[in-house]
Order: sequence, then C-alpha cells, then structure tokens
Amino acid sequence: MIEVDNLTKAYGDRLAVKNIRFSVKQGEVIGFLGPNGAGKSTTLRMLTGYLTPTDGTIRVGGIDAIEHPIEARRLIGYMPESVPLYGEMRVDEYLRYRASLKGVRRAALKSRVDASLQLANITDVRYRIIGQLSKGYRSRVGLADALVADPPLLVLDEPTAGLDPNQIRQVRDLIRGMAGQKTVLLSTHILPEVESTCGRVLIIHKGQLVGEGAPAQLRIAQEGRQALVVETRGPRETLDAALKTAAGVRAILDTAVMDGQGGAPLLRYRLEVESGDVAEAVFAAVAAVGCTLRELRREQTSLEDVFASLTTADHAAVDAQPTEPAATPSSPDAGVSS
Amino acid sequence: MNAVWTIAKREVFSFFVSPIAYVVMTVWLLFFGIVFYILALVFAQQPGGAESNLLTAFFGGTTLFYLPLLVFTPVMTMRLLAEERSSGTIEPLLTAPVSEVSVVLGKYFAALTFWCVLWAPTLSYVWLVARAGKNTVDWGAIGATYLGLFSVGVFYMAVGLFMSAIARNQIVAAMLTFLVLGGLFVLGLAGYANVGDEMRAIFEYLGLWTQMAAFSKGIVDTRYLVYDASIAAAALFLSVRALSSGRGN
Repeated sequence: MIEVDNLTKAYGDRLAVKNIRFSVKQGEVIGFLGPNGAGKSTTLRMLTGYLTPTDGTIRVGGIDAIEHPIEARRLIGYMPESVPLYGEMRVDEYLRYRASLKGVRRAALKSRVDASLQLANITDVRYRIIGQLSKGYRSRVGLADALVADPPLLVLDEPTAGLDPNQIRQVRDLIRGMAGQKTVLLSTHILPEVESTCGRVLIIHKGQLVGEGAPAQLRIAQEGRQALVVETRGPRETLDAALKTAAGVRAILDTAVMDGQGGAPLLRYRLEVESGDVAEAVFAAVAAVGCTLRELRREQTSLEDVFASLTTADHAAVDAQPTEPAATPSSPDAGVSS
Repeated sequence: MNAVWTIAKREVFSFFVSPIAYVVMTVWLLFFGIVFYILALVFAQQPGGAESNLLTAFFGGTTLFYLPLLVFTPVMTMRLLAEERSSGTIEPLLTAPVSEVSVVLGKYFAALTFWCVLWAPTLSYVWLVARAGKNTVDWGAIGATYLGLFSVGVFYMAVGLFMSAIARNQIVAAMLTFLVLGGLFVLGLAGYANVGDEMRAIFEYLGLWTQMAAFSKGIVDTRYLVYDASIAAAALFLSVRALSSGRGN
C-alpha cells in the first residue's frame, strides 16, 4: 500500500527526515513512534502530499505520489496533528464539504457523512458548531473527516491526543476494527497506543528509522536487561550485603525506604539481574539472613524501555542494541514469575 | 471544476457567517449612501439633465469612489488564504485530492461574489434616480457602469487574493494589498503632476483612475477590460505558484 524509499526532507541545512525507507502492506496497522520533533509529522505530511520531499520516492497504492499527487491523495484519509477545522461551520456542514471536496458523489453524500459520524461516534453533535466543541469532539471530527470518503489508507497523526481515557479506548477499538480492511498508519509518542493497536512499529528518532518490528519483537530485543523488584523488611546493611552476593544479581539499581518507623525498616530494592530466573536465589539470600520478604517480582520490559533506550542513546549504541547478545544465564531454570 | 464550486461555496458561506461581512457591508452602504446623498443635493440645484450626471458622478466622477475601495478590498480579501494558513486549515485543504488551481479559483470566485454582493444595493440608487428624476436614465450607461465595476473587481480581488497567498497572516495580507492598490492609485493621480501627456495617460491607465470615469459615461473601453483581466490572470497564476511552492516548506 505504501512504499517509501530514501525519503529526505531538508529545511535549509537541517535535515528533518533522513533517508527513511519502509513499506506498509495492505490491511496492516502500523505505528509510527518517536519523541516530539523526531520527524514523524514531517514524514506523514510528505506521504499525504502536504509537503514535497527534498529527495526520495513515495508510492501509495502503486501510484507515484510525487508525479501524480491528486490520484495518490484520493486514496488517503488524513487527520493532521492539531486537527485544524473551520470553527464557524457545523459538524454536518463540514463533513459534507469535505466529502464533496474528496469527490464523493452527491447521491452518496448523506450516507457517507452518516457513516463517518457513526464510526467516529459523534452523531450527537452533528448539528453543533465546530468552534464550540471540546477538544475530544474536535479531534473525532477530524477522524470522521479522514473516514468520510471511505479511503483505503488512513494516515492519522496522533489520533488520540486530547481525548479522555474512554474516548481513547473507543478510537483504539475503531482502529483495531479496521485492521484487515483498511491500511492504517498512525503516529504517536504514547507507547501503550502502539502496543494495543499496531501490528508493527517503526521507531523514528532525529529523522531516521532506528527500530522496526512487532511490538513483541522489539521487547524481546531488550530482554537482555532485566530488573527484579524486592520488597523486604530487615536491617539495611545485612540486606545490602546479602542481595549483592546473591547468585545472578549484578547490581543494586536503587533502594527506597518504604517505612522507617518502628523496628526494622521496610525496603524496596531494584536489582539488575542476569537473564534467566534469579528470583529463587534472591529469596534464598533474603531468607538466609532471617529477613521477611513482602514482594518479589520481575519488572517487565515495556516498550517504553525499548523506546527510551533506542531514542536516548547516541547513534552507535542504537545500532548495536538489537544485536547485543543476552548475558550468559547463571540460573537456567525456566518458569518466570512475574 | 466541482472542487472549485465546493471551495467557493464554503468560502462565501464562511464570509457571511462572520461578523466582518456585516461590518464591511454596513460601513460600505453608509459611506456610499452619504456620498450619493451629497451628490444628489449638489445635482438637484442644477437645471435639467441632472439624473445621468448624478449617476456618472457617483460611479467615477470623484475620488470618493476609489478611496473606500482601497480600504475595503484588503479587508475583504485578506482572509482568503492567509487565514487558512494561520489556522492550519490549509493542511486538510491541500491534502484533499484537489489541485492548487481549483483552490485559487474557488477562493477567487468567492471573492468576486462578495464584490458583487457589495455593489448590488447601489442598484437601488439607480432605481431611485429613474423614479424620481425628470429625465430618463441612460440604461446603456448603467450597463457599462456595472460592467466597469465588475472589471475593477476582477482586478482588485485577484491582487488581494495573491497578497493573501503570500502573506504570513491576515494583517500583512491587508497591508500588502493596500500598498499595491494604493500605490497604483497614487500613480494614477500623477496625472495631476507636471508630467508629459503620454506619461500621464499611462499612469492614469495603470491606476484605474480613469476607468470608472469612462465606463460611467457609457464608454466601454476594452483596453481597461484587457488590462484588468491580464493583471488578474497574472495575480491568479502567481497565487497558484505561491501555494505549490509552499509545499516545499
């Protein structure tokens, strides 16, 4: 559905997007992830024809989007980042205007507007003036606009920005529901969003692609680093010594005193551990010094960590990370407790 | 062509739901009403054949005709594209499957519609003169007058649209339009300065200073029509270029 090669956008000397290359298959839901200012919106704007690329090629549904921009744009339903709308129009009027601008035939106009109002769940405000709507409604008007001509490809720039948790769930359900029928490319800097909606993630940082894969795959790539959270009550020095020497523990990442009142303090440790199951060894170490254990759990590597390590490290480190071999496991027991 | 119509329709709609339309129309009618009243008083004291002279004077015999246009034109045209740019709505507009030419033409036809709507009430002055006057009104001259008015609109609206296409915001668009139209007008006044006859003719022609004077007498001078149309075509072409080069940024 989308093939992008060598895509570059320069503003003067500054390269906003550098040699991006990716492709999206029909029916895929793909997430475009990156910190603010990474080049997500610029890339999407080039894809939708709002900006002309400095270099590179874009094909949308087999059509060269630079040579034949109007034909390519016909296939795209685009929702821009801040959802600019005409505040003086009513929702219904606006969607009719957009539908007719996108070439929806007069006879089909009403049914298309009705359908998009329903999909975006804004039928209740259809006769309200857009300028008086809340941000959540406005962004769903933008979504309805993207859907109104029933395009095969949806490009959504931060579709859930400004929505409340219920509305976010609705929008996610809507996007998930379209998987298979429509191709969806959405950008976001909110990680749970991609985890819950996208089949594949492209991570972009400083205008370059730094990671690509299914959310689960990306997480596995980071499994080399694990942490164990231990909440225990006992004298601090004793515990420090016991935990440091427990098999499989590399280092104590941080310690927090949860409750210092009365006798022995309640402490929460975060331990950097080797891959594999270290929990039993930690339990044994705590028990050996006669302290009580309140909680012992593995900290799950979230996409957040993947994202953070891919986008905060400098570039050399970024390239090395996905291939970094997992540290040698010292306790090869299976059955991870979390 | 369908897109041109859709864009023009929305633009006209949005102009007439905005307060600016009613402010412009009220001040406009008030101003021209007063001018007409004063001219009517002056001509009423003159003997015979005053009716046609009154309309001729009203539509082009005085500077009072052009001066308000120099103010109202920028106010009418400044929003066309500059507002879309500053509010960001230009992004959905330019990512819809429509060409820049359609966008520019749609906006332009909307602007011409405002222009015609503003002048429409002056037909009542013609009606008034035809009814109250002793002599018959020269309907040929009236036809020529409105053709001339439309032609001035073709020129002014296109210049205003172009300024709105290149300016960063509405205020800048209005200022640029005022400067260009005002500059040309002042050039037309150079006719009164001590320059040669040929230069004076050129200046008057460029500044449209004499256009309405000719048309309101019933003289359809095609040179003006050609001049207005060619300036408009150039301004529209440049507006299209400005829109498409904006995609590079």
